[in-house]
Amino acid sequence: MNEQELFSQIPMRTWRWLGVNDIKEPAGLAGEPHRHQIVAQPGADDEVTLELRESGRHEVQAHVGKGARLHLTALQLAAEDVPVTCRIKVLVDEGGLFSYTGVEAGASETAAELTVHLAGDDARADVWSFYFGDGDRKLDLNYIIRQSGKRTDANMQVRGALLGKSVKNFRGTLDFIEGAKGSVGRENEEVMLLSDGVRNRSVPIMLSHEDDVDGHHAVAVGKMDEEKLFYLMSRGLDLAEARRLVVEAAFHPVLDRIPEAKYREEIEAYLTRRLLANG
Amino acid sequence: MAKKKTFVEDIERTLYDIRNEDHSVYKSESGLTPDIIRDISRRKHDPAWMTEFRLKSLDTYNHIGLPTWGPDISELDMDKIVTYVQPDAKMTGNWKDVPEDIKDTFDRLGIPEAEKTSLGGVGAQYDSEVVYHSIQEDMVKQGVIYTDMETAIREHEDLVKEYFMKLVPPKDHKFAALHGAVWSGGSFVYVPAGVHVKMPLQSYFRLNAAGAGQFEHTLIIVESGASLHFIEGCSAPKYNVTNLHAGCVELYVKEGARLRYSTIENWSRNMMNLNTKRALVEKDGIIEWVSGSFGSHVSCLYPCSILHGENARCEFTGVTFASKGQDLDTGASVICAAPHTSANINTRTISKAGGKATYRSAVKVTKNAPYAKCSVNCESLMLDNESRSDTLPVMDIEGDAAEVGHEAKIGRISDEAIFYLTSRGIDEDEARAMIVRGFVEPIAKELPLEYAVEMNNLVNIELEGTMG
Repeated sequence: MNEQELFSQIPMRTWRWLGVNDIKEPAGLAGEPHRHQIVAQPGADDEVTLELRESGRHEVQAHVGKGARLHLTALQLAAEDVPVTCRIKVLVDEGGLFSYTGVEAGASETAAELTVHLAGDDARADVWSFYFGDGDRKLDLNYIIRQSGKRTDANMQVRGALLGKSVKNFRGTLDFIEGAKGSVGRENEEVMLLSDGVRNRSVPIMLSHEDDVDGHHAVAVGKMDEEKLFYLMSRGLDLAEARRLVVEAAFHPVLDRIPEAKYREEIEAYLTRRLLANG
Repeated sequence: MAKKKTFVEDIERTLYDIRNEDHSVYKSESGLTPDIIRDISRRKHDPAWMTEFRLKSLDTYNHIGLPTWGPDISELDMDKIVTYVQPDAKMTGNWKDVPEDIKDTFDRLGIPEAEKTSLGGVGAQYDSEVVYHSIQEDMVKQGVIYTDMETAIREHEDLVKEYFMKLVPPKDHKFAALHGAVWSGGSFVYVPAGVHVKMPLQSYFRLNAAGAGQFEHTLIIVESGASLHFIEGCSAPKYNVTNLHAGCVELYVKEGARLRYSTIENWSRNMMNLNTKRALVEKDGIIEWVSGSFGSHVSCLYPCSILHGENARCEFTGVTFASKGQDLDTGASVICAAPHTSANINTRTISKAGGKATYRSAVKVTKNAPYAKCSVNCESLMLDNESRSDTLPVMDIEGDAAEVGHEAKIGRISDEAIFYLTSRGIDEDEARAMIVRGFVEPIAKELPLEYAVEMNNLVNIELEGTMG
């Protein structure tokens, strides 16, 4: 068997036994990459939605011009028996805003890298995504926001739910480069563990070469809030229905950002189907 | 108006940097060969199994590569490190018998004074050998053993053989293998079941010889229902050549036992501190680590707690202060391997003047550990933008019944906090001092008194203008 190719790496390495340093490309990927180039011209206000339904490699390069706003929605909804990779690289100029909504809810195995460079002063990144793992799905995610402009603002909010025997690695990095004076960064991951066969790895990294910054990260990993479940079941819902509601509630801050109703409905229907099937 | 930087002084090192002349009676050749290992083993009167253990460890060392992560240790040239330095002193239980220059060193560091007032026992290692060990009589009567490792091998060989490097096997990593090959000195503590050692025991490690390594081994066994507080201190004078510390600490906390292990590490700025510490905690046992890392040129130190029995607990409290020329990579790791185990990790790091402080941790919850709970909190304070502060925690959780939370912050002293305190009538300089002291206070209050005083040097601030 050929050795799998390296797809991505965390910016700072750690103990090898933890298995989080490298992301290998999933086996079985074929064909040329699907490439997308997005340019938000200075002052523009653009919305782009990408449907990643096909197996293979997806590559996105985006440039957010001075004072522009780009809202990129990337929906990975591939069939459950195919592997997918997605690499998104974004450069944000002065006063630009990169607003991202990501959904990882398909494929047998997925590797995703999102790199955002807040190069201009006052550039902002507002990144929201959720992942859903069930069956034997493997999710290997690596998000990095580099802040080199002055007064940049990064917000990374990630929600996840894991069922079945799914395995997930999420690495989220905030990197304050020297000179990023007055910058702030927030990173938060909340993971719900819904089956005893799951494995969750969370790696919230914060790198700083600048003192005049304010960086926070937080991770919360645990089972579903039993009080919420108890309340819903006391109102007549069965366990599977109650679980579906709690998971949907956790994902709603992300779902609500998806601009088109048809995608929201499709994802909600998908989650309902999967949660009830795994109930 | 231009902002002025607050100046935070380095730790006063004069006391630690006084060197003695090298009066060692024997030094091994520098570098590592089977002949050097056999020679060290013969001089230490090792039993045959230990000689064999050392040679196997050397073989492992030669077959393991350097770590692919962490600080740069390329300056370390093992061919130039002298692995065994025998001081001109025999191990004694009487302070008067310790040679004058060595005695003066430990006197300056306050060791005998502390023994009189607040310790249950003291061990002092100078270069590769322990030169003094004592323990209070009533503890001996209760069956407590506190001695140097060489005596322990002679007098309690079966006990040492059962536990020695079982928790940190030489194949663990390159420097564990090195330790297995050349270890010398260190302390052995055995606390029988149900015995509560009321006063702390303290071992102090001093490396005087230039270009040498110190490889002490600390082995502590706290039997069921017993308790102990062990304090470890380390220092060395500064030289222009690289010194190496690759000690190993193995702690066995049996059912319902409690062990507090406090360390203040203040090695000189030419020291590579590549130390390995690990605890195995059985049912209802508690390990408490209190760890202060102030010295050394490069440090890699991540005490590991394996929570092996149901309801076992770990409390880790650490502070790291990295200044000019220092790359201090510190943190902790916890493995929850039984139901209802819990861990609480709380750290603070400060970096200044180009120093690099890295917090690195691992929390692993295995499938066998339902209802495990872990909470990690690390805060980093940067005092200028020449410095670096990085945070790299990893959480690896199997199953659906564990709860793990992590929080981290990086930043400088906030202008709002200063404004608030000054609005309450507190002088601006005092306000800043209060904030820095408050930052390290959760750690300082866990330290033994004399070390808390030492750490207060850390927040000896010459205040001038605002921080930032």
